[in-house]
Amino acid sequence: MDGKKKKKNIKIIREFGIIVAILLIAIIFTLIDPLYVTPYNIISIIEQSTINGLMGIGITFAILAAGIDLSIGSTFAIIIVCVGKLLVSGINPILAIIIGIGLGFAVGIGNGLLICKMNIQPFVATLGTMSLYRGIAYILTGGWPVLNIPKNFRSMVDGDILYNIPVSIFILLLFAFLTHILLKYTRFGIYIYALGGNEEATRLSGVSVDRVKILAYGIVGIGAALAGIVMLARLGTGEPSAGQGYELNAIAAAAIGGASLAGGKGSIIGTFLGAILLSALKVGLIVVGVDTFWQYIATGIIIILAVYIEYVQSKLYSKSLTVRYQE
Amino acid sequence: MRNRSMIEFNNISKIFPGAKVLKEVSFDIKKGEVHALIGENGAGKSTLLNILHGMYTEYEGDIFLDGQKVNFKNPHNAIEFGIAKVHQEISLVPELTVGQNIVLGYEPRKGQFIDFDKLYNQSDKILKRLCCKFRSNDIVSTLSIGEMQMTAIAKALFHNARVISFDEPTASLSGSEVNTLFEIIRDLKNNGTTIIYVTHRLEEVFQIADRVTVLKDGKHITTNNVSNITREHLIKNMIGRDICAFAVRNRPRRFEDKVVLDVRNLSVTPYFKNVSFKLRRGEILGFFGLLGSKRTDVVRAIFGADKKNSGEIFINGKKKEIFSPEEGLKNGIGLIPEDRKTQGFVKNLTNADNIGLSCLKKFVYFGFLNHNEKKKNCEYFMEKLNLTPKDPMYFTEQLSGGNQQKVVLAKWLSSKVDIIIFDEPTKGIDVGTKQEIYRLLEDLAEEGKSIIMVSSELLEIIGMSDRIIIMNEGRIVKTLNYTEFSEEKILQFAMEGG
Repeated sequence: MDGKKKKKNIKIIREFGIIVAILLIAIIFTLIDPLYVTPYNIISIIEQSTINGLMGIGITFAILAAGIDLSIGSTFAIIIVCVGKLLVSGINPILAIIIGIGLGFAVGIGNGLLICKMNIQPFVATLGTMSLYRGIAYILTGGWPVLNIPKNFRSMVDGDILYNIPVSIFILLLFAFLTHILLKYTRFGIYIYALGGNEEATRLSGVSVDRVKILAYGIVGIGAALAGIVMLARLGTGEPSAGQGYELNAIAAAAIGGASLAGGKGSIIGTFLGAILLSALKVGLIVVGVDTFWQYIATGIIIILAVYIEYVQSKLYSKSLTVRYQE
Repeated sequence: MRNRSMIEFNNISKIFPGAKVLKEVSFDIKKGEVHALIGENGAGKSTLLNILHGMYTEYEGDIFLDGQKVNFKNPHNAIEFGIAKVHQEISLVPELTVGQNIVLGYEPRKGQFIDFDKLYNQSDKILKRLCCKFRSNDIVSTLSIGEMQMTAIAKALFHNARVISFDEPTASLSGSEVNTLFEIIRDLKNNGTTIIYVTHRLEEVFQIADRVTVLKDGKHITTNNVSNITREHLIKNMIGRDICAFAVRNRPRRFEDKVVLDVRNLSVTPYFKNVSFKLRRGEILGFFGLLGSKRTDVVRAIFGADKKNSGEIFINGKKKEIFSPEEGLKNGIGLIPEDRKTQGFVKNLTNADNIGLSCLKKFVYFGFLNHNEKKKNCEYFMEKLNLTPKDPMYFTEQLSGGNQQKVVLAKWLSSKVDIIIFDEPTKGIDVGTKQEIYRLLEDLAEEGKSIIMVSSELLEIIGMSDRIIIMNEGRIVKTLNYTEFSEEKILQFAMEGG
């Protein structure tokens, strides 16, 4: 029996499964209201998923490394406020974007350092920075929103190109592509999967585990920064209170996409599809006019179902193997 | 009364998916005897115990307890029938007190609340009977491993069981603790308790058991009175062939005078102090010592897995600071750890990734990994080490213990290290693969690699080493050349510290 092929099949089934789920949601909502499948609405679904998608892809790196990052919502706010202030001060929008990405990376590295050098559990360390970074965002503006974001920046990041598709969708696709390459075709990628699966064995193989982990949190920060930049362009104002609870949406996208919070398992494509699924559901419920409160319930059920299906799948998978017996 | 069966196993078979691990095992255990159960790893000892204690509920065949057919639904159920097991020390809850661990699941109560006075009184009584120096209100995590094992024994005694089974109880006990344990077992026996004693230390069978049953490959081989059986006979039954036949060097020893590793006054407090030795090119250097002699800690510090407190390490005559496994690797040292599952390989990676993990750098071009070259490297070593199945995309987790060990070895060989440290190289490996590992060790030494082999198997270390360093409680007590090897001498130094 070919282990990898089997596992690959399962993974394909997984990603295929999410696509089927998305189609199923689309069919149901279309039957209720044909408006759902109009090109405009489909673009809107993808557009709605950019924030979750960017943050979800970022946090996938922390989850793969058997960690978590609760502070991404606050990182998101810091970036919104800082980039917003820079723009208002008249700086070149491209430079502002680069500084924003760099800042997100640095903030993420800060989390990584706390986790690796001070040996604080990722959950607790980022719970601390979640509050800390939020405080910084508020202090930077004195609690006020940053207003009058320049038009040229807004159209550069979120304006429409090609058939009315907003630029932000391409930002999401580009980020997904680059991170996918990073995970599959570099040493860093294999090291992340390895240390998520067995940190001690990876360390004893001579891998500098700390460096890999810190870098992983840096990428989480970049995801949050990109999301912040897109949000700032979309809204035209920078609220220091933005992004509260977004970390949970990001985790949900990753979990639906097959990432295991135990580490070592998950993929960029999965998380990306997970984010699409969440927004397909949300947009659908809005289109058919379901009350907001019920949207929460539907989202909750989807998350639980997805993870349960994952469990059943992996159980079927291990049953299908010839189990090696060891006393 | 004394000769009636307490437990009768009747045609017990147990099938795991893909493997039949017990094959129609039948024998009986008499009331009030100490019955030893021996066999190699994978012989089926633990499986049989797990069935008896209600851990596995699906099996074929019948178990009779005191003449009555039983089929326990869970371990709790077995305890109610008076069958208790002394678990290994790792099954304790480290954050709770000794007393809380002893009564876990059976806490004495006062109304709805736990009656702590009674709990600690009862526990202290048992500890006193076991001659333990620690108290029942000590936190388990503060105890030594030997003390934890005593706590596990106390836990079984708490249930006033009719049958108590011990699964390798002496593995982590010191000499005096072993003596206390044996006294307790004799004491229990005199009170009519039936004891099942699983071990792979043959000496213990002769010290403590009345009868002994040998299992091999899931089959019942013999049950004998200890008084009319010899050690050699037992070994023969256990392995079906003479172990000495393959744990030997086939080719002439030819290590060179060139010192590749020179360790001077290495210390890691509180584990070991002032360890000094030299390793030569092409040499197999054995490290022997009983549990607690800190052999593993010494080799881990050399490799950089643990931080040293003082001492110097010279490699090829140059002083090196090795403070991480990364540095160890850079200086040409590889470690094949004792526990493959938690330290040797990564379970969610394929063979190609696991073997390539230490040397991925070799396959990188302009920042990108060449997966094809990684695969080729894996295929090369699979062929060289005769790994089965020869599939680079197979998950290492699915391989047998011996093949997993080969994957870990291949990882270091593909990183081209010169000093390879094997910590218990044949632990949990079947006999056939053991033989292959011995031949590989010899090949490596001949190729000019230098090998440190930590092992608890006396025959293995005598058969394979050029020199043996014997450790006792964190000190090197003796270094023997291969002309001076003898079982008695080595054991004496290891036990008494020379």
